[in-house]
Amino acid sequence: MSDIAKDRTGHSLKNMGSASSLSRKELHGCIKGSLSAVSYVDEPSQRDVASRLTVQMENTYQLGPSKHFPVAIVNHILKDVLTNSLQEEQYEPELCRQMTKTISEVIKAQVKALLVPRYKLIVMVYIGQLSGQSILVGSRCLWNPKSDNFASYVFRNSSLFALATVYAVYFE
Amino acid sequence: MEEYQRHCDEVGFNAEEAHNIVKECIDGVLGGEDYDHTNINQWTASIVEQSLAHLVKLGKAYKYIVTCAVVQRSAYGFHTANSCFWDTTSDGTCTIRWENRTMNCIVNVFAIAIVL
Repeated sequence: MSDIAKDRTGHSLKNMGSASSLSRKELHGCIKGSLSAVSYVDEPSQRDVASRLTVQMENTYQLGPSKHFPVAIVNHILKDVLTNSLQEEQYEPELCRQMTKTISEVIKAQVKALLVPRYKLIVMVYIGQLSGQSILVGSRCLWNPKSDNFASYVFRNSSLFALATVYAVYFE
Repeated sequence: MEEYQRHCDEVGFNAEEAHNIVKECIDGVLGGEDYDHTNINQWTASIVEQSLAHLVKLGKAYKYIVTCAVVQRSAYGFHTANSCFWDTTSDGTCTIRWENRTMNCIVNVFAIAIVL
């Protein structure tokens, strides 16, 4: 009986964007199991709405996060992942297209492994060819600055540049 | 009040509405302009701030993250990807691509539901 309940709630916590992963972490505060699949879902599934209606969250009586998002550690993670994946690479369209997707998936998995409870994550990766053209990336966020944060890192080699950013938003 | 908010979240994030709002903001700021290194800071800031202001006016219980990348149009390649860990029934994202003769602009909007 409890397994069915876990299945239903686990199912609703999916990922969108370039990769998807199923995890039952959010509700029970500990990792039960984690399965990653790269599926490139673009649109949210409509049948999730019906299954979600049956889940009710209880009041946590917490005013803020018990453990804050560790920005410095995540900066290191970004630096390691980008350097290890791209140090030797030259810019090639197909390779970099695949690289952006896999790098964002890898970064997300490593940040999830930090087990910071009740945080939703958004990972963005930009890879471009270094050629003297100009690029500017800006972002603004409407959130609670006491609980939400972000981390980012820029990597450069002789032929390409890569920018990775992680936004962490506290859930309730 | 609580029931009204829950009703909004059941519908999920309206990507089309966000798409239209942001597209208008970009057209207003960059429409008819050529890539200019001195103004680019100002433009990205205005695009992002105006989009955020309009999204907030929708009055929905969401936290927003708006990202804007403006690239000079050249023969050179550029890729972007994102990966998100959230609740797909209530949270959503929208990506708007815009271009003119001298530049490409990519705006990402992420909306994360607040449970009241």
